[in-house]
Amino acid sequence: MVLSKKQKYVFLTFCLLPTFIVFCIFTVYPMIGGLYYSFFDWSGTSSVKEFIGLGNYQKLLSDSVIPKAIVNDYIFVFVKVFGIMILALFFAVALTQLRLKEAPFYRIVFFFPNIMSVVVIGILWQFIYDPNIGIVNGILRTMGLEEWTRPWLGDMTWALPSIAVPAIWAGIGLFMLLLMGGITDIPKNLYEAAEIDGASEWQQFWRITVPLIWPQIKTSIIYIVITSLNGSFVLVQVMTAGGPGIATEVLGSYLYQKAFEDFKFGYGAAIGVLILVASLLTVIVLQFLLKKEKVEY
Amino acid sequence: MFFKRSWLIMIASILLFALVGCSNETTSEEPKNGEPKQGSSDGVSGDLEVQYFVGGYGDEFWKKAIEDFKGTYPDVNVIEHAGPDINTEMNTRWISNDPPDVVYIDGNGANETQMIADGQLMDISEWAKNIKMEDGTPLLQSFISPAEELDGGKIYSLPLVFDTWGVWYDSTWFEKQGWEAPTDFDSWMESMKQIKKDADISPFNTTGQYAQYFQRGVLYPAFAAAGGEELLNDLSNGVIEAWESEEVLKVMKKVQAIVDADLVDSGFAAYNHTQSQMNFLLHKNAYIPVGFWLPNEMEKDTPKDFKFGFVPTPMNDTGDAMALVPDIRTVAIAKEADNPEAAKAFLEFIFTEKYAQKFAETTGAIMNLKNVDLSANNNVPEFLKGINDMINNPGQIEIHQRNTPEGDEQDIAVEITAEIKLQIVDILMGRISAEEFVENMTKKAKELRGN
Repeated sequence: MVLSKKQKYVFLTFCLLPTFIVFCIFTVYPMIGGLYYSFFDWSGTSSVKEFIGLGNYQKLLSDSVIPKAIVNDYIFVFVKVFGIMILALFFAVALTQLRLKEAPFYRIVFFFPNIMSVVVIGILWQFIYDPNIGIVNGILRTMGLEEWTRPWLGDMTWALPSIAVPAIWAGIGLFMLLLMGGITDIPKNLYEAAEIDGASEWQQFWRITVPLIWPQIKTSIIYIVITSLNGSFVLVQVMTAGGPGIATEVLGSYLYQKAFEDFKFGYGAAIGVLILVASLLTVIVLQFLLKKEKVEY
Repeated sequence: MFFKRSWLIMIASILLFALVGCSNETTSEEPKNGEPKQGSSDGVSGDLEVQYFVGGYGDEFWKKAIEDFKGTYPDVNVIEHAGPDINTEMNTRWISNDPPDVVYIDGNGANETQMIADGQLMDISEWAKNIKMEDGTPLLQSFISPAEELDGGKIYSLPLVFDTWGVWYDSTWFEKQGWEAPTDFDSWMESMKQIKKDADISPFNTTGQYAQYFQRGVLYPAFAAAGGEELLNDLSNGVIEAWESEEVLKVMKKVQAIVDADLVDSGFAAYNHTQSQMNFLLHKNAYIPVGFWLPNEMEKDTPKDFKFGFVPTPMNDTGDAMALVPDIRTVAIAKEADNPEAAKAFLEFIFTEKYAQKFAETTGAIMNLKNVDLSANNNVPEFLKGINDMINNPGQIEIHQRNTPEGDEQDIAVEITAEIKLQIVDILMGRISAEEFVENMTKKAKELRGN
């Protein structure tokens, strides 16, 4: 049956309109709202607000916490992209190529953190890092490495890496599955041909696997970057609340502090706009950097 | 057509039920069969919406007070909005100028200073001046910590809870070990050194995640003891000369002395308030600065033989009185209240000795009323009787008031607080000295004052 042009448009509208409406209500409207409130001096708790133009943005420029929060955000991005991608790729290759009997079990184990609430993960790792009863210091003491023990989340140097570990741990499973899907789709005869030609497994990985799952790798990296810039806040807020001092402060946790604890909602909204701009710019740069010809064999 | 209408009615009913089901409000029972309600309602009637935060003090006091109020004012239908996150839940009501009638200002998301600045609270000065206690004393003269007058004498709230910070210890453990509770800074240092030696623990702990615990629990009383109310308020308001004063440096040197003697738990910066309090209960530390709510908040985790002991933070010099800086929790009427008469009746109803006793019993804290004798009340914890006695017998301790900053000063006070919290973590970690603390705070004050 051939659809007329009108029927085609009606069908497309039928499919797209509900999504578009939901997108407008839950994404566009809050985004415009956030931008609008960023021009006001508003506590966020009353109907009284004063238009101050770019006042909040001027304040952003002179706020000493903002540069530190941006740096921390990008440290998270960097560490998470590398940590998650390396481990997810390793596990994906291991579970698909090594033909392990226990592969389904490992798949569940690695995916498990993804079904846990980030708040629960944060609290769990808080206990793991606890200076007195935590398993990390416990193991170090058992190994006779008493001098290595420290209050991990209360240490200016170690607090940020300590949060990065659960962030990576919680992220591996999803991307591992995504990459496994890509690897499974690669025709086996390519590997067989490569083997006959004398290619080592390492060469097969770099010349066949990586190029053919590049779209999945690219999607994963962009997804990790976006979720990291927008979502690191939860782990930080639960595990350290940005501390000690501002050692682990990220833009999201600072936004929360300003908008909901200091009652500077307008300023918080301006920080939100900054996060949006940073995310957009980062994704644009990434799209450019990850641009690669599609490989087909 | 009939089916179409039936569907519409069904959908509307479902939506209505869903809305009612989603509401966490509880209301008093409506009279049945149209029977008139009985009681002495003094002409006060209608719906009365009460918003109260449920935190460390629980909700037993409020439940009891509201139940009794309904008995006395049967024509009033009390609608309670309560919970640990009630301030956030009710936020949209306040933003849309449809607030509840009465609000107990406490917990996250509630800030009296901000509410006054935003014009959300009713000026109750005239009404409050005419309220008298059962013995005829004017209510405004019956408060331990007076009602604050702003904007040239206006009263926007009544101080309900005399909350204050101090230092807690386990008196059973102290008795067993022969340790003495401190009365001044020198005796506190001696005590902490002794405990460190005897028990091999870091005697002092606080929460680094919420550095305001140290700010309010240690620094405020220390500043008040050193320079009185004027210094305390000037520091909060970022007055440069105050931060440059000798008294401040002296206080910070005391803090540095605690750090230098290695008496602070090395993990403090990682702890939130609950973790630090758990460690305290487990005798991993001996002293912790927290407010009156600690025993109630940690009730379920408190070991059986643990007995809470409380002293006003001993940062005072030998021979000087100990300082208490109340952290008053107030109750107010919304400016846009629909039923201000019922709201006033409710406030008048709860500010009595009967409810002050009830408050102490149920919360382990003190209602802000003078001369309430708790000594005969067996349901009130011993530490509270002691502190109540101290408060009502001036000389042993001095009470210093912290004032609400007005106008632009409010923004400065918020920024100063944020900076103090950062500097506290640094000094307690030994990253900066007392001199650097003062220098950094002075720099911040100058920046905020445009100098």
